Amino acid sequence: MIVSKLFKKTLFIIIVLFGVIAFTIAVSSGWNLYNDLIQEYKSKGTSIAKSIAGSSVETLLNRDASTVQAMIDQFLEIIGVSYVFVVDAQGEIISHTFVPSVPDEIMNIKEEKTKSVTRIQDLRLEGKGDFIDISAPILEGAIGFVHVGMDKGIIMSQMQSAMIRQLYLLLIIFLLSISMAYIFVNKISQPLNKLTEYSKKLAAHDFSSAVDIRSNDEIGLLATTMKSMATDLHEVFDRYEQAINDAIVELQNTLAYLTAVIDNMADGLLVTDIDGTITHVNPALSSMFALRETDMIGKNCKDIFDPLLAELVEKTRKFTNEIFTTEIGLAGNRVGKAVTTGIHKDTFQSDDKGVGSVILVRDITSEKEVDRMKTDFISTVSHELRTPLTSVRGFTEIIKKKLEEDIFSQFDTNSDRKTVTAIKRVKDNLEIILSEGERLTELINDVLDISKLEAGKVEWKMGKIHISDIIDRALSATSALFEQKKLEFIKVIEEGLPEIIGDKDRLIQVVINLLSNSVKFTDKGFVTCRVKRTAHEVLVSIIDTGIGISDADKMKVFEKFRQAGDTLTEKPTGTGLGLSICRQIVEFHSGKIWVDSELGKGSIFTFSLPFSVTEDVTLEKTYIHSPSEQ
Amino acid sequence: MPKILIVDDDFLIRNLLKQILEPFEEKGVKLFVADNGIVAIDKVKSENPDIIFLDVMMPKMNGFEVCNILKNDLEMKKTYIIMLTAKGQELDKQKAVGMGADFYITKPFNINEIIRKVSEVLNINLS
Repeated sequence: MIVSKLFKKTLFIIIVLFGVIAFTIAVSSGWNLYNDLIQEYKSKGTSIAKSIAGSSVETLLNRDASTVQAMIDQFLEIIGVSYVFVVDAQGEIISHTFVPSVPDEIMNIKEEKTKSVTRIQDLRLEGKGDFIDISAPILEGAIGFVHVGMDKGIIMSQMQSAMIRQLYLLLIIFLLSISMAYIFVNKISQPLNKLTEYSKKLAAHDFSSAVDIRSNDEIGLLATTMKSMATDLHEVFDRYEQAINDAIVELQNTLAYLTAVIDNMADGLLVTDIDGTITHVNPALSSMFALRETDMIGKNCKDIFDPLLAELVEKTRKFTNEIFTTEIGLAGNRVGKAVTTGIHKDTFQSDDKGVGSVILVRDITSEKEVDRMKTDFISTVSHELRTPLTSVRGFTEIIKKKLEEDIFSQFDTNSDRKTVTAIKRVKDNLEIILSEGERLTELINDVLDISKLEAGKVEWKMGKIHISDIIDRALSATSALFEQKKLEFIKVIEEGLPEIIGDKDRLIQVVINLLSNSVKFTDKGFVTCRVKRTAHEVLVSIIDTGIGISDADKMKVFEKFRQAGDTLTEKPTGTGLGLSICRQIVEFHSGKIWVDSELGKGSIFTFSLPFSVTEDVTLEKTYIHSPSEQ
Repeated sequence: MPKILIVDDDFLIRNLLKQILEPFEEKGVKLFVADNGIVAIDKVKSENPDIIFLDVMMPKMNGFEVCNILKNDLEMKKTYIIMLTAKGQELDKQKAVGMGADFYITKPFNINEIIRKVSEVLNINLS
């Protein structure tokens, strides 16, 4: 039998309550009973005493003790009467019902002086118990007194048995009420237990359970409320579950999509954390390095890859916002290019620490192959074109030499006009062949130069240079031209020019070109070279007093194979590539080149060289442009 | 007797150089030819020339390799090596000097320059 806690609580209260009530009832009714009985006995005793007193007057006057005895004896039959005795006016006991003898205490009773009133007093007799002694005066005490002793003991035992009866009754009632309480409380706690079970199930998300409580009271209301709450919860849970499932599906789709993207990339992807431990690779990267994914994940990239790659990761650790690249060897003798940048959380804190690096590797083997082929082509062409040209020029020179030394010398100036003309024609034509051969050589050189410049295949030798140095070297190289045309050269160089970083030989090449152009197109006057500086660059100008350039031609001079001049009457001079080459060189140095000119007055060719170019930028350029021989 | 070895895989260039050096032949200089690096080294061993004209672009063994071998050989390193390079091959010039070549000329040749150099090295005056 499951005793509910509720019941235990109520039981305690019931017991206490009942105990108090029972005790109170018992005590009070006992007390009442006692008092009533005492009263009854007292009145009984009093009336008996009075009756005896009244009816024994004559008998006592007659001194008829036996009648008195007989009279008082019959009163012994009355319940409660324990003794009766009569005393005379002197206090002598006339008759009594004591057996065997009158107790001492009786003997000692003092009579009341007020003779007309019955006196009631409690009396204890040794060995016999407690009594109520009622004394009635006979003839107002003149004859004597009647004493009736009512037995308190009977009262006591009556009271006792009454109380016991009562207690029994109360006990029965108590047990009954406990049982009823038990049943009643159970009636309450049972549904409460059911509801407890129900809410436990709800807490465990078991919404399918039901509870059957239909009572019309507060518990029933609670049950109803809980049921509807369960329904609501169920709904809410279903909705959330659905939402979560939807979100999961969406995430899975996104993940699958991204994974597909990464897996299908042609470039290799390598992701590392901040220490260089590899966290993610894609299939392309695996095949590039011929390593399995499982062999790479979790390992540090400096243990697996070329140290160059680990270096990149280091760099991105320090500079999370910059991009770094390097060339790196791939499996199967292939070459790749790795580009890496740092990954960082999108926070606005200034101490934004990176969480790793992303490295993209591209297989540039074919690119490099093409590159190499370009280089090879250029050098092969260079060689292949020059070889026959060498023969042409060389043999022509020998022809000229042999003709002049050995053949023409046979003919002196006195030979006939036809021979002389023929000799002159031969000489002139040979000169043409030789000079065209020279021009062809220059042309080949220039074409190769410009193609190297445009393909970025030039090895630049950058260093600190002084402009004045360059001007001097260019001048000495072209001094013969100046002498030939008897032109003057003026040099105006500003003081305190800063050092520039540049390729010395190439810049000399530019100035030589400009100077030789000026000399070529100037017949009289002078050529000036002026160098000055502005806020962030050096300006070099070659000024001549030559024939000038028309506005139409100004646009074209820097283009390939464009030459100023009248091609109808004049032999083409130069290669038509000189200024294009100059532009390539100047622009590599981040400068500009342009021309100002007035037909008939002269021309000014100017180029600028910025000097705020930092060391790093030029080195960067060197890296980009130099061939990848390592 | 001074000797000059001409090494070039192109027949015409060899011919041209022979013609250019003809004046020296008249002065008693002997001219030899080789058309690749391997033959060149043999010829150097057997004839011990004073000057070698060495072309760069040759099959089997290029001019640099020959130069390197010659300069590393105790006996052969005294030979004066003139390398023939194509102009514009900056790397070639540096390499030539790095390999130990004594002089270099670019194609197309400057005939006067060749004559001047040979005169200098062999100490022969032509005129």
